[in-house]
Amino acid sequence: MRASVGDRIVIRGHRVRDPDRACEVLEVRGVDGGSPYVVRWGDGGHETLFFPGPDAAVEHREHASK
Amino acid sequence: MRTIEAVRRSGVGIGPERTIREAAGIMEQAGIGAIAVIDGDHLVGIVTDRDLVRRGLARDLPADARVDAVMTTPVVTVDADADLHDTFALFRTHAVRRLAIVRAGQFVGMITIDDLLIDLAGDLSDLARPVTAEVIFGSHDYPSPVTIST
Repeated sequence: MRASVGDRIVIRGHRVRDPDRACEVLEVRGVDGGSPYVVRWGDGGHETLFFPGPDAAVEHREHASK
Repeated sequence: MRTIEAVRRSGVGIGPERTIREAAGIMEQAGIGAIAVIDGDHLVGIVTDRDLVRRGLARDLPADARVDAVMTTPVVTVDADADLHDTFALFRTHAVRRLAIVRAGQFVGMITIDDLLIDLAGDLSDLARPVTAEVIFGSHDYPSPVTIST
């Protein structure tokens, strides 16, 4: 996964009726846009480190803002 | 199969100075039950929703207690490129439900027994399908081998 500051990462729900979760990339700690990322969950939620797995997809900022 | 290829979920990490209230909020927002506790570049523990209950609530810890007061440490780790069979052995040896995956000593994710069970169930289902079909629909009548002579 490659992400930039401002991109949105969506994590799909794992069980039936599990909602998708989303976070915003605040900082890229890896090389060339790679993980880990510092992210903020939801709207104004907590900040954490994020290590993306196969359940995560990045929505690039210009795409997410449309 | 490499261990990292069996991971099904993203990993989340926080610093040891974060509070157990924050940890609970992060679990809710991220939809997860375990968080890696990382100090600088070093994985120092794992905190689970179960830890928050048994080591936090049950012991009357305040909500602003540090998360490293309730985390499990040291952490059993497995290398991202380790063969999955070695990971099975670690689960057996340490009787844990999740292992931290590291690459060059740094945390990159977590693998749970649930992940492995889901993979195994899928493999078993694939194996069972032709057998089940044979039980239900009867055995195949395979054509005789054809010999081609020139």
